[in-house]
Amino acid sequence: MAQQKQYYRRKKVCKFCVERIDAINYKDVKLLSQFVPERAKIMPRRISGVCSPHQRQLTNAIKKARNIALLPFTSE
Amino acid sequence: MRNYEIMFIVNPNTPEEEVDKINSQIEGVITSGGGQIQKIEKMGKRRLAYEIERHREGQYVLFVIAANGEIVREVERRLRVLDAVIKYLTVRTDEETRRLEKMKSFRQKRAARRGSSTRTAVAELPEQALEEDM
Repeated sequence: MAQQKQYYRRKKVCKFCVERIDAINYKDVKLLSQFVPERAKIMPRRISGVCSPHQRQLTNAIKKARNIALLPFTSE
Repeated sequence: MRNYEIMFIVNPNTPEEEVDKINSQIEGVITSGGGQIQKIEKMGKRRLAYEIERHREGQYVLFVIAANGEIVREVERRLRVLDAVIKYLTVRTDEETRRLEKMKSFRQKRAARRGSSTRTAVAELPEQALEEDM
């Protein structure tokens, strides 16, 4: 089956598991902004490949960061 | 006693001394209530991600404290009253640090049990990814 495909879809791995990032802090804008695409929505797991415990932490961190204006709620 | 982080944004046009005054005022509230201050950090001027009261910039200040809920409530009330403060956020951190410590000790214990074989276990994930790449 896989051989019939023209291209091979790369297996996604959770960035936080691979890099062993335990604490996802709301102050780390650089890290969080990787998971906030242009429309300022939170990137879904199926695209980023983040595992569910980390996605949960990430979501909480992004929401905190939004509250203190480190990240946008919307983009114009 | 619980650990909290209180972050607030001060109007970008307030002079430095004014910010210090606010900080010492908040500091007074915390210490007089029996709380401890672990850190006060002025994070400087930053662009806001969205407009707050017509401001596009703000001066960020971060307090890391150990206190009880009563003190936090008082600090938040003060911050609300101060006109120069345009936004604030309080986050409780002790539960999170406890969880992290637990994870750390668990990892160490596992590493000790496995001895030298941990190294291969750590390398497992990237290896898998590599295989599937091909």
